[in-house]
Amino acid sequence: MFITVSDVIEYLFCPRFIFFMHCLNIPQREERYYKVLRGRELHESREKVNTSYVRKRLKCVRKEVSVYLTSRRYRIKGEVDEVLFLDDGTAAPMDYKYAEYSGVVHRTHRYQLALYGLLIMEHFEVPVNRGYICYTRSNHHVEEVIFRQKDYDAAIDTVNEILRTVQYGYYPEGTKQKARCVDCTYRNICD
Amino acid sequence: MLVWVIYDISDNRTRSRVAKICKNYGLYRVQKSAFLGDLNRNESDSLAVECESVIEDSDSVYVFPMCEDCFDKIKLIGTGFDRELVSGMTVTKFF
Repeated sequence: MFITVSDVIEYLFCPRFIFFMHCLNIPQREERYYKVLRGRELHESREKVNTSYVRKRLKCVRKEVSVYLTSRRYRIKGEVDEVLFLDDGTAAPMDYKYAEYSGVVHRTHRYQLALYGLLIMEHFEVPVNRGYICYTRSNHHVEEVIFRQKDYDAAIDTVNEILRTVQYGYYPEGTKQKARCVDCTYRNICD
Repeated sequence: MLVWVIYDISDNRTRSRVAKICKNYGLYRVQKSAFLGDLNRNESDSLAVECESVIEDSDSVYVFPMCEDCFDKIKLIGTGFDRELVSGMTVTKFF
């Protein structure tokens, strides 16, 4: 069984998302949200517009766009927006977000990049020690994330927790941050 | 939080589209170009983004958040809006 990198983001937001989605098969119906639709449009246009452009400021020499990767070892799958091959022989994932940069890179985004990093390392057999996030609502601000071993370890641990939740049908604790419940899609059925 | 949406849009079509967006978010029309209602931060941001995609550069839409204390201090002169309905204290109103 494989889980997607998006599942990890949702699990970090609130562990119960995974239970509702994968154990009870209740869809999120996120397409009702305008910002989600705009984000999808962004990803579609990014695949078509300016595909040959490589970011020289990031010392990128080559890139691959929308790379779908799976890993039997980590039991994850996901589509990386861009894989940047840098001039020092390493590679880096780049993810586009339809969001504003608030001064910090959130834990969800950091782990998402770390998992993409693991997939790239396994598939392309090049070291990955950093990743980038492009915040399109802050004038395409690019933020660099340097990976440490503990980021990779924590991301893998999260994947294992999710697999355990899904396989045993275990009902996890909800998030402790109650502000997240305000506009959660599952608030009507969650206690 | 309580949010005011006030706009100045010259084109009829665009203006009615913005009004429709406001109504879809559950805001109450308190004047011709002024809406008020209870939204969370994400909804208010989404509303602003949606309005931005509709309007021209020459148009303007203001999205003002307002705290409850300030709302209580509003003075209504003449025909005003129903305070309880707008602030979400009345759930449904039958006419």
